[in-house]
Amino acid sequence: MDALHYFAMSWLSPELLGLTALGTFLGIYVGAIPGLSVTMAVSILISFTFAWDVNYALCLMVGVYMGGVYGGSRTAILLNIPGAPSAIATALDGYPLAKKGLAGEAIGLSTVMSVVGGFVGIIVLALAAPTVSEFAITFQPRDYMMLGILGIMLVGSLSGGSLARGIFAGALGLLIGTVGLDPMTAEERFTFGVVELWDGINPVAVMIGMFGISEALHQLHHMNKAVIKQKISRVIPKWSDIKKYMPLSLQTSFIGVIVGALPGTGGDIAALMAYDHAKRVTKNPKVPFGEGAKEGLIAPEAANNAAVGGAYIPMLTLGIPGDAVTAVFIGALFIHGLNPGPLLLIEQPHMFWFTVGNLTLANIFVLIFGLTGIKLFSKIVECPKGILIPLIFLLSIVGAYAINNAITDIWWMLAFGVFGYFMRLYGFPVGPVILGVILSSLTDENWRRAILSERGSISDLFINLFHSPLSTVLFSVIVLILFTQSPLWTRWLKRKLFHETT
Amino acid sequence: MSSQSPFIKTRKPGERIFCLLMVMGSVYLFWQSYAISGFSSFSSPGAFPLAASATMVLASCVTFLNTLKLPAAENVRFVYHCFPPIVAVIMALILIYSVVLESLGFVLSSFAFLFVSIQFLYRRSVLTTLTISLLALIVVYIIFRLIFQVVLPEGIVPEREILSSIKSLWS
Repeated sequence: MDALHYFAMSWLSPELLGLTALGTFLGIYVGAIPGLSVTMAVSILISFTFAWDVNYALCLMVGVYMGGVYGGSRTAILLNIPGAPSAIATALDGYPLAKKGLAGEAIGLSTVMSVVGGFVGIIVLALAAPTVSEFAITFQPRDYMMLGILGIMLVGSLSGGSLARGIFAGALGLLIGTVGLDPMTAEERFTFGVVELWDGINPVAVMIGMFGISEALHQLHHMNKAVIKQKISRVIPKWSDIKKYMPLSLQTSFIGVIVGALPGTGGDIAALMAYDHAKRVTKNPKVPFGEGAKEGLIAPEAANNAAVGGAYIPMLTLGIPGDAVTAVFIGALFIHGLNPGPLLLIEQPHMFWFTVGNLTLANIFVLIFGLTGIKLFSKIVECPKGILIPLIFLLSIVGAYAINNAITDIWWMLAFGVFGYFMRLYGFPVGPVILGVILSSLTDENWRRAILSERGSISDLFINLFHSPLSTVLFSVIVLILFTQSPLWTRWLKRKLFHETT
Repeated sequence: MSSQSPFIKTRKPGERIFCLLMVMGSVYLFWQSYAISGFSSFSSPGAFPLAASATMVLASCVTFLNTLKLPAAENVRFVYHCFPPIVAVIMALILIYSVVLESLGFVLSSFAFLFVSIQFLYRRSVLTTLTISLLALIVVYIIFRLIFQVVLPEGIVPEREILSSIKSLWS
């Protein structure tokens, strides 16, 4: 009964309801406007909302997240520019549909299926999280340490480019997270005798720099992209279409939840896998894939929204973010004094049910805003970059200042912004940096707990690792990733594939 | 992250130098990690930074060696493709804005920043830019200062007095 009470909290309070609606609305536009990302928006929002009551802040940010994942599909369909990475697969069939003059229908169908996916994700979250968190209590410190490392490695290896660059970025993040007084012994680490550094580098400043400033600086390279306008017909989809595609949408939703729940994989990979699945199971599509098949539109859309619920499972039960957006989210939870991890569901079950209720509400708002306001939408998306980019800079700087009312945070933010710009330029992913910063203290503390429980003996730690099935699995996965990315393996694979094709 | 190409076959100008700088930076950080508590024990405060920075050294060396093998990208110049003037100008503007933010105050410095950067990037008439930046500033001010109650540097503009006098007009 309590759970239901907390679930309905954001539904009954007009302020919370309003903030969720506002967040979802903002999220749809942030997701839709190319150059603005959900990660960027949530990073900046943290700095503005951290003085708020936690419930208010969460409502707004959950709305932005849910709306943002959906919003990317709009520009993918209308302009062939995915507004967010999770909408890359949507553009494959969505844009051809728009070119045929079916933009309205495509938007309507993708909205409904996104919402279906969103609900599947939320239901799985509500059912699975309590069980996962019970299981998570049995985790040893070494398991947490390995989960942290695994998360960073997966994000590093999956964000494109080489694993070495991903690992470099992740390790850099871990190191940034250790700056300041050591939480266990209060010894100074990387403080260079500067008292201001005792509290460490504010993770929000790093986030805004890496995702706000550096992303916006990169947008300056593409200032002259022309926008093609599309005519939009009726948006409310046909009931027969919804009925027809429902089974596929449910299937791909489950793919989305599972992929979303794995550390390191988020909506973008879920969407691509779902697209692939749809291609395989649709035997005789009315229109071939890539030329405007509705199956190819709804599969990624259902999957990427389902991945949101999935991503919340490891985030709330283990405190391990799955990707950059959830890393930023965990940062927000920490700032509000919540401790995501296995104890969250036991100590603060109201927070869990509140979040579930909130996600559900945001999902309903996606349906409402998704099927209305198309005219306003096409106006806002046409907002020229020349105006948009200066505003991003303004908000980033003001946001960095607002965290502590300190000019120092602006300098950190700018330094990481410029550094992030060059990292992106030379193919280093920035996602693992944020993941590293967020996971640094968790990994550090658990490493030391693990080694202390073995009385400082690393060989005992290694041997005892194999006494627990969970630790063994985690350890093997880490070794497997390292191995499969090494040149030895790729050479072997290439030879094998070469033989098969000839 | 979406702006990156998944497979880098050629190297961009400056990539080798950047990677070399990363190697040097990693080595420096490794040395700094060593300075925390040396190799005293596996559970010392310096153990984790040592492991992380050692990983950085290793990963940056691998990356650097890989870039040495790659051929340079053709027709790509640092000044045009990697660090075009537009980026440099905007970076400079942001820097100036951050420097004067506290002394001039949010309202004045932000207005100046918006006006100059929008004029530079959007290139319309001065009047248009003036209107856009003024409108944008008002919206940002209302949302963040008045609704979100974010504390912003006041600087030389007596904001509070102006606000209270506006309030007293209403009452």
